[in-house]
Amino acid sequence: MNLPSPATNGSTPAIDIRYLRVDYGDFVAVDDLTLSVPPGEVFGLVGPNGAGKTSTFRVLTTLMEPTYGEVMLDGVDAFEDIESARRIIGYMPDLAPVPTDLKVWEFLDFHAAAYGLGNRAQRRERVEQCLGEVALTAQRNNWCKTLSRGQTQRVVLAKTLLHRPRVLILDEPASGLDPLARRELRGTLRRLAESGATVFVSSHILSELAEMCTSLCVMNRGRLLASGTADQVRHQLGNTDRLLTATLLGRHEEASAWLASQPGVHDLRIAGQQVIFGFKGSDDAQADLMEGLVRLGIRVRAFEEKRSSFEDILVDVAESNRHP
Amino acid sequence: MNALASPVSTIRHSAWKVWGNPIFARYCQSRLRFRGLGVALLIPLIIAGFIVAMANSIGIRTGMDPADAARMAVIPLLVLQGVILFVLGTAQVAGGMTAERDEGVIDYQRLIPMTPLAKVAGYLFGLPVREYTMFLITLPFTAWALWRGDVAWKVWLPLYGIVFTSTLLYHFTGLLTGTVARNRRWAFLVSIGLVFCLYTVIPQMAKFGLVFFKYLTITPVFEESLAGLLPKQAGAVVKIGQQLVPTVKFFNLDFSEAVFSVFSQGGLILTFIIMLCRKWRRNESHLLGKLWATGFFVWIQILLLGNALPLIEPGSLFPSRAFIRMIRIFPERPPSQAEAALMSGIYGLATLALIFVLAGIITPSSENQLRGWRRARKQGVSSLPPLADSATGFWFVLIMAIVGAAGWFVFTRALVESRWFPGLTVPLQTFGVFAAVMFAGGVGYQALLEAKGARFANLVSILAGAVPVLAGAVLGTLSDRMIPAAAWLIGISRLSTPFYASATLISLTDLPPTAARAVPRAFYFWLLVWSLVTLWLIVRLWATRKAMARRVLLAQSDDPTAAAQAKA
Repeated sequence: MNLPSPATNGSTPAIDIRYLRVDYGDFVAVDDLTLSVPPGEVFGLVGPNGAGKTSTFRVLTTLMEPTYGEVMLDGVDAFEDIESARRIIGYMPDLAPVPTDLKVWEFLDFHAAAYGLGNRAQRRERVEQCLGEVALTAQRNNWCKTLSRGQTQRVVLAKTLLHRPRVLILDEPASGLDPLARRELRGTLRRLAESGATVFVSSHILSELAEMCTSLCVMNRGRLLASGTADQVRHQLGNTDRLLTATLLGRHEEASAWLASQPGVHDLRIAGQQVIFGFKGSDDAQADLMEGLVRLGIRVRAFEEKRSSFEDILVDVAESNRHP
Repeated sequence: MNALASPVSTIRHSAWKVWGNPIFARYCQSRLRFRGLGVALLIPLIIAGFIVAMANSIGIRTGMDPADAARMAVIPLLVLQGVILFVLGTAQVAGGMTAERDEGVIDYQRLIPMTPLAKVAGYLFGLPVREYTMFLITLPFTAWALWRGDVAWKVWLPLYGIVFTSTLLYHFTGLLTGTVARNRRWAFLVSIGLVFCLYTVIPQMAKFGLVFFKYLTITPVFEESLAGLLPKQAGAVVKIGQQLVPTVKFFNLDFSEAVFSVFSQGGLILTFIIMLCRKWRRNESHLLGKLWATGFFVWIQILLLGNALPLIEPGSLFPSRAFIRMIRIFPERPPSQAEAALMSGIYGLATLALIFVLAGIITPSSENQLRGWRRARKQGVSSLPPLADSATGFWFVLIMAIVGAAGWFVFTRALVESRWFPGLTVPLQTFGVFAAVMFAGGVGYQALLEAKGARFANLVSILAGAVPVLAGAVLGTLSDRMIPAAAWLIGISRLSTPFYASATLISLTDLPPTAARAVPRAFYFWLLVWSLVTLWLIVRLWATRKAMARRVLLAQSDDPTAAAQAKA
């Protein structure tokens, strides 16, 4: 399936994945994934458990060789020039682990030294900067093992930022974070993107990604289902179902009978002054419904719409796994 | 904050500057914290102090010469240091490495811009840094005992040199097991088990001609140094005993035990470094490249032969003579032909086992082959580089089989045509038979592995390798009448073939008459069957590879639509 990729601005894509496939024996974890992410994007990858997100991430980070397919990171072939590719990326894995025998600053300083970020004083400065970025300066002398789940996530994010990677690959970075920390994470990711970095982020919570990403894609059972902006994704997934509520001043039975005869209307019921019904159709068809009621001489006090949330869409996707 | 002006200044961490190695520094930080280190240092400090004090007080009490009293402490201190470095250190390296993987932080280390060699060096010296410190704390006691005991530097220097190389060897073993083993418990057990085997089981192999293995321990150098370490009177006795023991010879080149131990261990250490660097560079890589694996096989053959051949003429190689000389009760008698056949069989089996192991390492899985062909297509070439992991391992295993057969033949011929078996000869045709054994065993296994995959090959190995031997053993013990049937059944196994070959070609005299008739027949029959099966497997292997190459190369890209068009 070749779905439209997010629009590129003409420059080399920061991440270019072509025909990626990952097999574990007979099990296909990622199947024919093709997508391209322009520089400076916060790109989200969403899907239920087992969608192939982590496998895709491990391939992107060169930690796993795919069965086939190509991955270009900032123009570098990730599997032909593995060393250069690794210098480009910063990786934060799912359930971001930290060593239990180090303090927060020691963990960061070790990575700063490994990335060759100058002498002890320069490293210290950079460590402090990154700790400040994730609001963990006060915890610098704490043992990594004593940190809460959310704090651990933030320490690993700080580690990921240390060497100023051009491509950040963050697997479920928001899991375990409280709402405030999530908001801070969104801010951090946006600032990173503004500074020119490309952020590739995964989550199984679509609404969360929709808030923080400039574009996203949905995967299920190893395949790409949709990609683009949040609205484009919703459209591609074909989920135009919505719940409509018409508040009428009388003639409810007549209105219900007329609505029930219209295409796309389902699950209709009357609750007090309101006629509540499901509707699957275009925005034009929805406008026609309202106009039709008015033409019938029915006085419409209000007409409300509630679309399926991203969560509902993902639940549908996950449900399709259980009942293929 | 994350301004992208300088992505990463790529400082290359030198593998040799261990002090500047971030991984080493990280472990110094975590494993040398005062709180944990205090207790860890206190224990060896107390034990070492106790050893020296006890040696001194016994010396005073018995009126011993002070130098002799001090010497009494040297060997217990060496044992303590061995426990710290070999056992605790190796366990820490294996366990620590697996812990990195269990916790998941190893992925971070894979991505950091350090060379694989620098990473290996960082872990090698970093993980057991506390054990090195514990060792260092015992050194002043050793230094005192050596100085007070007037032990010559020519005695202690080679010994401690070998302690260091053995430590490296065992720690490399631990590092490798920690990198490859699936969980921490396994890594710990395998590495400790390996060190245990090196000092208990493997020296027994030396008694059957595989002398090389004992040089992976400190035992030869320790035995050589023993006279100089013991109190003078006991040392003199040991020195007389040592004059009866032959010096180490490698193809009649006189080496000191220390030099030869370093030579033997050095090769293995180098091989471990290669394996670890390959794994750090790319996790999916084979542990060894094809060329290195073949070179390693040849090197082991040369070491085995170089050690064993000089010991044949003096008779030291034969276990029966070594035993008689050791207990000195029975009169000396020449070794039997059956003993020679058994030793030849063991040599053949060890060679075959090594081929199995190396074939398992260098044979590409079908996924690996597929990746290789796709890369070839991407690069616009129509064949795989012969040394690539994805290329066939067939030719290299074939070379190993031929070299192994040659080594086995040289060993057997030197053994049988020695002064101990006058009149017996091993004709050149024997090489052909040995080559057929290696071909049907080693090459057959490789072809099966490459064409059908590891799971199927291992299943066949169990069913056709181990089960016939076990079933035959049960059958053979039922009654004498069953012995021919048992011989035929056991003959199915590739593991029994080296023994059958040696027995058939050297001596059947010590076998029961029924077995003596059945063994050669079973041997030639099953050799023919397995050789034909191997040929068929090779044909299948080439067909499979060709089909895969055609399928991948004909497709213009990984785009399934294009691939389908190409197929059409």
